[in-house]
Amino acid sequence: MSTRDGIADRIGTFGHEAVRNGWTTERFAVLGLIGLVLLAFGPSFQVYLFTEFMIVALFALAFNLLYGYTGLLSFGHAMFFAGGSYGMAMVLRDVTPYAAEVVGSGIAPLVTFGLGAVGGVVLVLLIAVPVGWLSVRLEEIYFALITLAFGMLVYSIIIQNPGGLTNGTDGVIVTLGITEVAGAEFRLGERRTYYFLTAAVVLPSIYAIWRVVTSPFGTVCKAIRESPDRAAALGIDVTYHRWMTFVVSAAFVGVAGVLMAGLANVASPYHAHWTTSAIPVVATVIGGATFFAGPIVGAFVFLYVRWGISRFPALEAHWELFFGLMLIGVVLYFKQGAAGGLLMLRGWLFEVRAAYDRGGTDAALTYAKESTSTRLGRIGGSSDGKRGDRE
Amino acid sequence: MEPSTTLAFVGLADVVIGLSLGSRLFLIAVGLSLIFGVLGVLNFAHGAFYMIGAYVALTVTNQLIDNFWIAVVAGALAVGLIGVLIEVGTIRPLYERAEGELDQLIVTFGFVLVIHEAVRFVWGSQPYSMDAPASLAFSVSIAGSTFSAYRLFVIGAAFVVMAGLWLFVTKTYFGSLVRGTSSDREMASMLGVDVPRLYTAVFFLGSFLAGLGGALSAPLQSTSPALGDQVIIDAFIIVVIGGLGSMFGAFVGAMLVGLMQAIGPQFIAAGHIAIPFVAMVIVLLLRPEGLFGGIGE
Repeated sequence: MSTRDGIADRIGTFGHEAVRNGWTTERFAVLGLIGLVLLAFGPSFQVYLFTEFMIVALFALAFNLLYGYTGLLSFGHAMFFAGGSYGMAMVLRDVTPYAAEVVGSGIAPLVTFGLGAVGGVVLVLLIAVPVGWLSVRLEEIYFALITLAFGMLVYSIIIQNPGGLTNGTDGVIVTLGITEVAGAEFRLGERRTYYFLTAAVVLPSIYAIWRVVTSPFGTVCKAIRESPDRAAALGIDVTYHRWMTFVVSAAFVGVAGVLMAGLANVASPYHAHWTTSAIPVVATVIGGATFFAGPIVGAFVFLYVRWGISRFPALEAHWELFFGLMLIGVVLYFKQGAAGGLLMLRGWLFEVRAAYDRGGTDAALTYAKESTSTRLGRIGGSSDGKRGDRE
Repeated sequence: MEPSTTLAFVGLADVVIGLSLGSRLFLIAVGLSLIFGVLGVLNFAHGAFYMIGAYVALTVTNQLIDNFWIAVVAGALAVGLIGVLIEVGTIRPLYERAEGELDQLIVTFGFVLVIHEAVRFVWGSQPYSMDAPASLAFSVSIAGSTFSAYRLFVIGAAFVVMAGLWLFVTKTYFGSLVRGTSSDREMASMLGVDVPRLYTAVFFLGSFLAGLGGALSAPLQSTSPALGDQVIIDAFIIVVIGGLGSMFGAFVGAMLVGLMQAIGPQFIAAGHIAIPFVAMVIVLLLRPEGLFGGIGE
């Protein structure tokens, strides 16, 4: 039908036919995994960038558990990101010398990495349980403000270097050693190795978050987002559920922080600053908070647009400008974000094609013009989308 | 700064420095609080507005006309106009939206990024400094300590602005419209108040004050693109402690935070960073409406 035969069309056609032929989620998952393995043999920098993308995607996805699913905007999630980083870095620093004696030098680095990860998540939970308990008593802007205050409190403690634990503004260096398994050596910090390690942690984490949001617990969260009062009337303990969501969200952000410490080779106080808390906000809003995969799309846009901009020296220094403009544009005009935008675009293209089938190029152009102008006419109008029917 | 454990080390000099810091913070916080009190918008870009005020003022004195007072007015007016453009263009469409408060917070955060980059594009990343006006470039000796006259002038300016705003809100017709609209928007609208225009006017006033604060602070600190990120956090602390929407609260909160930052390090080495956040958390938990009530009260 269409004269164009671009790669997107081919993928789309392939996808439709695959579904028609009884392809299951499992088959697509296998295809995705093959893609992930192939990507590992790409250029070294792309491997690094994709690793960072997976970490930021997990960060944003965990953040959105609280924002998109429970309606609480946290501006302090950097404290958990840094908590994971520092927990990992401090365990590695203090345990590495003894680990080799206990488990033998071969797998010691892998074991200490595991211990570090556990340390990071435990540290995050130690912060998140009391902070969450206190914070969820407040709503909307007050919740954003108190999380911001707690986040900056953690930042100021890290800067202060209590007991020589955090090494002040320099942060704690993370060195991942060489693991020997069955005669083969893996340098954990090597980009491709770390890429697989990250994928092995991030993919199950994403699946775990998916299971959380599709569980009865996740349904309760959505009910609370839509109307806390009605949820409470149904006998749901709103505060308790918000608290638990906060803790789960923080724990997964901690996992992302652990991975970031290994990727950046340092647990830096910058990871705790409020500007880091803004990263998942930007990614989630741009990607679309009402979709499960929205934050993943947003993280992809965030890192790859930034990378694309960095290829133009004139623009490189000013990449934040684009994200600022995107943020404003998305909130004003595309409340569903990029994920929603893609779905909208897909539907619109189908409509245009239907018009083309009916009356050729002219009809398609007329339809495109009319639908665009009605869409533009709605700009600045009232709420739309799922989250609009709250009042 | 030497940590010490006794009150005897808190001298007049520390108090004056704390008040001067507090005065500068008041000028940014009061606009933030005013806008929140009337419009219900928490303007994340308010620190960036303050920064623009400082940049415009120092560009005017260093490159255009060497007149401090014109520079201050230019800085404040420029920021006021930018505020109007932002309010009409991007904040107004969100008033009616459910969860509009969070959307407004995110949109104004978008402007933090945009303004940060715009400032770096226009003025570069290097810090600038600016001289105090020649008429105030002398020092005053009080009880054995010397203070620059300009520092004392800024403290005075904060008191004047506080008094002026208080009179404006409580004694003028426009002030009564502002108070009425902030307490019941729909009723004010039905009584014939042009609410959108009033909102824009209040946003102009709040932005103007941020610009004024930035311009008056320019001789006391170095102005760099990092300035906005720092002051917005201070301003948030202040309006939370004082009470979001309360002008008097902003005044007391600003002076408290200024004093905490000046005197705190003498008790806890990191006092000036950590103490204000602890105070903010405690106030939010025990009294989310802050130490003082709503606007004009």
